[in-house]
Amino acid sequence: MSADTNGQPRIGVYVCHCGTNIAATVDVEAVAEYAAGLPGVTVSKTYKYMCSDPGQELIKEDILANQLDRVIVAACSPSLHEATFRRATAAGGINPYYFHMVSIRELDSWVHTDIVEATAKAKDLIRAAIHRVRFHKPLERARVNVNPAVMVVGGGIAGIHAALTLANAGKKVYLVEREPSIGGHMAQFDKTFPTLDCAACILTPKMTEVGQHPNITLWTMAEVDKVDGYVGNYQVTVRHKPRFIIEEACVGCMECIEVCVFRRGKTPDEFNLGLNMRKPVYIPFPQAVPQVVVIDQDACIEFRTGRCKKTCVEVCAERNAIDFTQTETFDTVEVGAIVVATGFKTFDPRRTPSYGYGVYPNVYTAMEIERLVNASGPTEGHVTLRDGRTPETVGIVHCVGSRDVNTNEHCSRVCCMYSLKLAHLVKEKTGAEIYNFYIDIRAPGKGMEEFYNRVAEEGVHFIRGKVADVYPEAGNTGRVVLQAEDTLLGRVRKIPVDMVVLATGLEAQADADEVRRTFNITCGGGGFFMERHPKLAPVSTFTDGIFLAGCCQGPKDIPDTVAQAGAAAAEALALVDKGFVEMEPNTAYVVTEECSGCKTCIPLCPYTAISRVDGKAYINPVLCKGCGTCVAACPSGSIRQNLFEDEEIYEEILGVLANA
Amino acid sequence: MAQASVLEIPDLTLDGLLATPAGRELLSCIQCGTCAGTCPYGDFMRYTPRRLIGMLREGFIEEVLSTDDLLTCVTCYDCWAKCPRGLRLTDVLLPAVKEQVLLRLPEVPAELQSALANTMRYGNPMGESPRKRAAWVESAGVPVPILRDLGRPVDVLWIVECYTAYYPRGQDNARATARILHALGVDFAILGNEEKCVGECARLVGEKGLFDTLREQNAATYAKYEFGSLLTCDPHAFDALAYVYPALGLSRPVDHTTPFVAARLDALRPLLTKDLGYKITYHDSCVLGRHNHMHDEPRRILDALPGVSLVEMTHNRDNTICCGGGGGGMWLDTFYKAKGYPRLSDRRVEEALATGADVLAVSCPYEVPRFEDSLKVLGGDDRMVVRDVMELVAEALAD
Ligand SMILES: Cc1cc2nc3c(=O)[nH]c(=O)nc-3n(C[C@H](O)[C@H](O)[C@H](O)COP(=O)(O)OP(=O)(O)OC[C@H]3O[C@@H](n4cnc5c(N)ncnc54)[C@H](O)[C@@H]3O)c2cc1C
Ligand code: SF4
Ligand code: SF4
Ligand code: SF4
Ligand code: SF4
Repeated sequence: MSADTNGQPRIGVYVCHCGTNIAATVDVEAVAEYAAGLPGVTVSKTYKYMCSDPGQELIKEDILANQLDRVIVAACSPSLHEATFRRATAAGGINPYYFHMVSIRELDSWVHTDIVEATAKAKDLIRAAIHRVRFHKPLERARVNVNPAVMVVGGGIAGIHAALTLANAGKKVYLVEREPSIGGHMAQFDKTFPTLDCAACILTPKMTEVGQHPNITLWTMAEVDKVDGYVGNYQVTVRHKPRFIIEEACVGCMECIEVCVFRRGKTPDEFNLGLNMRKPVYIPFPQAVPQVVVIDQDACIEFRTGRCKKTCVEVCAERNAIDFTQTETFDTVEVGAIVVATGFKTFDPRRTPSYGYGVYPNVYTAMEIERLVNASGPTEGHVTLRDGRTPETVGIVHCVGSRDVNTNEHCSRVCCMYSLKLAHLVKEKTGAEIYNFYIDIRAPGKGMEEFYNRVAEEGVHFIRGKVADVYPEAGNTGRVVLQAEDTLLGRVRKIPVDMVVLATGLEAQADADEVRRTFNITCGGGGFFMERHPKLAPVSTFTDGIFLAGCCQGPKDIPDTVAQAGAAAAEALALVDKGFVEMEPNTAYVVTEECSGCKTCIPLCPYTAISRVDGKAYINPVLCKGCGTCVAACPSGSIRQNLFEDEEIYEEILGVLANA
Repeated sequence: MAQASVLEIPDLTLDGLLATPAGRELLSCIQCGTCAGTCPYGDFMRYTPRRLIGMLREGFIEEVLSTDDLLTCVTCYDCWAKCPRGLRLTDVLLPAVKEQVLLRLPEVPAELQSALANTMRYGNPMGESPRKRAAWVESAGVPVPILRDLGRPVDVLWIVECYTAYYPRGQDNARATARILHALGVDFAILGNEEKCVGECARLVGEKGLFDTLREQNAATYAKYEFGSLLTCDPHAFDALAYVYPALGLSRPVDHTTPFVAARLDALRPLLTKDLGYKITYHDSCVLGRHNHMHDEPRRILDALPGVSLVEMTHNRDNTICCGGGGGGMWLDTFYKAKGYPRLSDRRVEEALATGADVLAVSCPYEVPRFEDSLKVLGGDDRMVVRDVMELVAEALAD
């Protein structure tokens, strides 16, 4: 029982109408009247919108005028407005944890239709709160300092933009990229829709800036191995894969590539999707950042036999940048926040065998065509078939691996637009007849519909129908037939083409699940990382201090990716710039005298907050998230939890059942 | 990949269908045209599944039901397999619609009419005498026990089905299967003259009433005996027994001869001693292949035959093309011909001939006569023969 006012608390009860959200289903006046008659209640009122300024003011004034020492608001839900009313309570001069919220909207008016019963339920819920609130104790939020450095994981356009934003704001940034160069998918494109600006022209300056920025430590060929700690104070362990090149010593002259004992490349060039071959020592693409070569252990003779002439080492001479002895190394750094920007992978069309990818040589993926139209690609920008001929007819198949319950249900959002882009580019370069087979053209966003019009006016054919079958044309012509219903004409079309482009959809990375576990975040539909709230917290995750940017959160185009990366950087900045975080006080604690030291709780804590100190359990309040697992598990009942003390819970139960 | 499953819609009429959540899913069609684009008769169908759903949800369904257009569906499961919404077209929507079409048809095509009437009357579509259903047993070369005569439970009750029991080339398959079951030492029996058509094609062509009658009669017959599991050489019967009968009470494991033998290859392998010297191309049937995804089983068997090499046709596995015989197609050849439609089996046989193989292997009794006819028409019968996988296995067995 509260010791404040002669054992009797002075409780203020406020019942919110929430417009008609609550008042239409719950008789709020009757509820307030009922509450007024319960022991300990000093004032009981209703108000149209408790969360409004006047509503909050009401609480503050009543506390002062009536010496209230407990406040109860019956309204929407704690996740929406608990913080608001705690602030109002504090403004009245009492500890904010003397406040308790009752949900009569989500838990009552929204889920019931009968006014009498809904009103009775509201009374029960408020009575429970009146019972429990007398046992509330004053609690303090602990402050923890925040490390100002930020880690960005993934060096695509999302990671690049987030890293630069943070670094330009003066923060130390670690950018971790697993490939030998940053750039991500965007580095592979020639032009970008809808404006057709040259991808390299807009991306390269940003990549170079990352490479040279004094505030950015760029780690390529690196991945995050382990994340310890908590918001504001993460310890991240990064694994560096060996490049076999000393980055600081390599000047990027590429003479070693020239003189490598392999006269021609024999390894499929990953950056060009295997459309050409590269040597064991290579640079992924001319604009790569860092401008440093890499040696592929699986292809290099020295690694395979130990008996290479090592012409590379000879020519590298006094620069001495090649080091065959490099091994995996680890670094651990402290950061306050992390931006995850690990991007996407494209759908593997072999999963839809009727499209003939991997069977018919002239069936390509869109990414392959991106490289073929690219001036620095394997054909120097000439769009040619595998036998060197220029295609005269090209079919572009939309929605491959998207909008299909057999593969991925989601729409990949960018395929329509990049298909239009490729239609334009291929037509421009070859003069071919182009057939786009689509279900719906999705062209929302600035300049997109205009671009669609432009491509249509250029004479690209649009056939509304999903391609159903791909098979060789009779008579060994080398062409394949695309068969689809032209649903607008109501006619099955069989169009022979020289080249097929499969607009493969965007999927979550293959290792998204491992990455998710490393960062303790969640995956939603299709395996993409889940934001905390789809509308109001689109770049936050359920783990404080971990933010999302770009396609790892869901398919999107470059403009949206960059906007989201900026938002993630801003959120991270808001966290680390403040310098501290306040921790919720609803943590568990051990009553040391009662703890038997049985260690039951230690492995159960999902946040590894419990350790053993002097033979007893100790809970680190900074790590504890208040989930209550240990409280329930302790065999001797010696773990308690703030705001969920035994008497608070028992009284609440007694209160709710008082009339039962 | 679409998976065959037990029908969860108890009332398979059009109204009954739309009264269930699973049926209403049909209304989520995005009108993409994949169904029409992939349909073997898509060039000729006015009311493709896409248009059919479009008409249905806008209230124009009567217009569709009053044409004979839907009889063009040969139940190949191609639209079902590729529909990006995973809609149950072939096994649920189309039979329900065809039922309505048949009811309104002023004149049911004669060939279909007599097949259905025969099935009702004699328990087989050919109109053969029910008493001759087990006649093939005499020439089997091995004992084929009749369950009633045996008077004891058996492990495997073999449902021979109509085409295998009566049709001469089907009987080759039956005899081969009997020899294989013997070689494997399987404890099996057949129902003999008590057996009746399982009825799947009647169901799929829209004769639900006939199907229901057959199912009740068959269920009563099966219930008289004790047996472990059911086996059949007809993929259509396999489907009915595996996915439709259970919803209505039958609960026994069901197998088709091809997967059954594939699962026992290790025991069989030492007995496969005769060198066949064939180059074989395998035709995945719509039902066993596309609907049940049993693609590896037949290939594993063929691979185990001495002196055999396998080649693939352009359309294979889930993307196989239809012989035109399913869902009543067997009894609509004259109807299609009168309308000037091509024979679907011709396209298949052209692909088979293009592989240079000398045997076209199949796992469905409907395909043998259809492909043999097409081979004759296309002048390929001097280069290629059609064989059920069971026939090839039996051929490789030591005498
Ligand atoms: C064929 C095609 C054409 C397109 N054309 C256009 C266009 O014209 N215009 C447009 O606006 N959009 C276009 N897009 C969309 C565009 O590609 C994306 O919007 C953009 O690439 C998203 O950037 P990102 O940084 O989120 O992901 P990504 O580009 O995928 O970058 C992710 C980065 O993270 C790295 N990474 C992944 N996992 C890890 C890990 N565990 N640890 C460390 N690093 C990791 C990857 O190596 C990569 O460098 C196109 C997409 C496709 C498929
Ligand atoms: S060691 Fe030999 S194979 Fe390897 S990169 Fe150098 S020259 Fe090429
Ligand atoms: S309440 Fe949960 S988070 Fe806190 S120590 Fe116990 S188990 Fe760990
Ligand atoms: S394939 Fe499926 S979704 Fe597409 S039109 Fe046909 S029924 Fe509709
Ligand atoms: S089941 Fe086959 S024949 Fe029937 S509509 Fe579908 S694709 Fe056409």
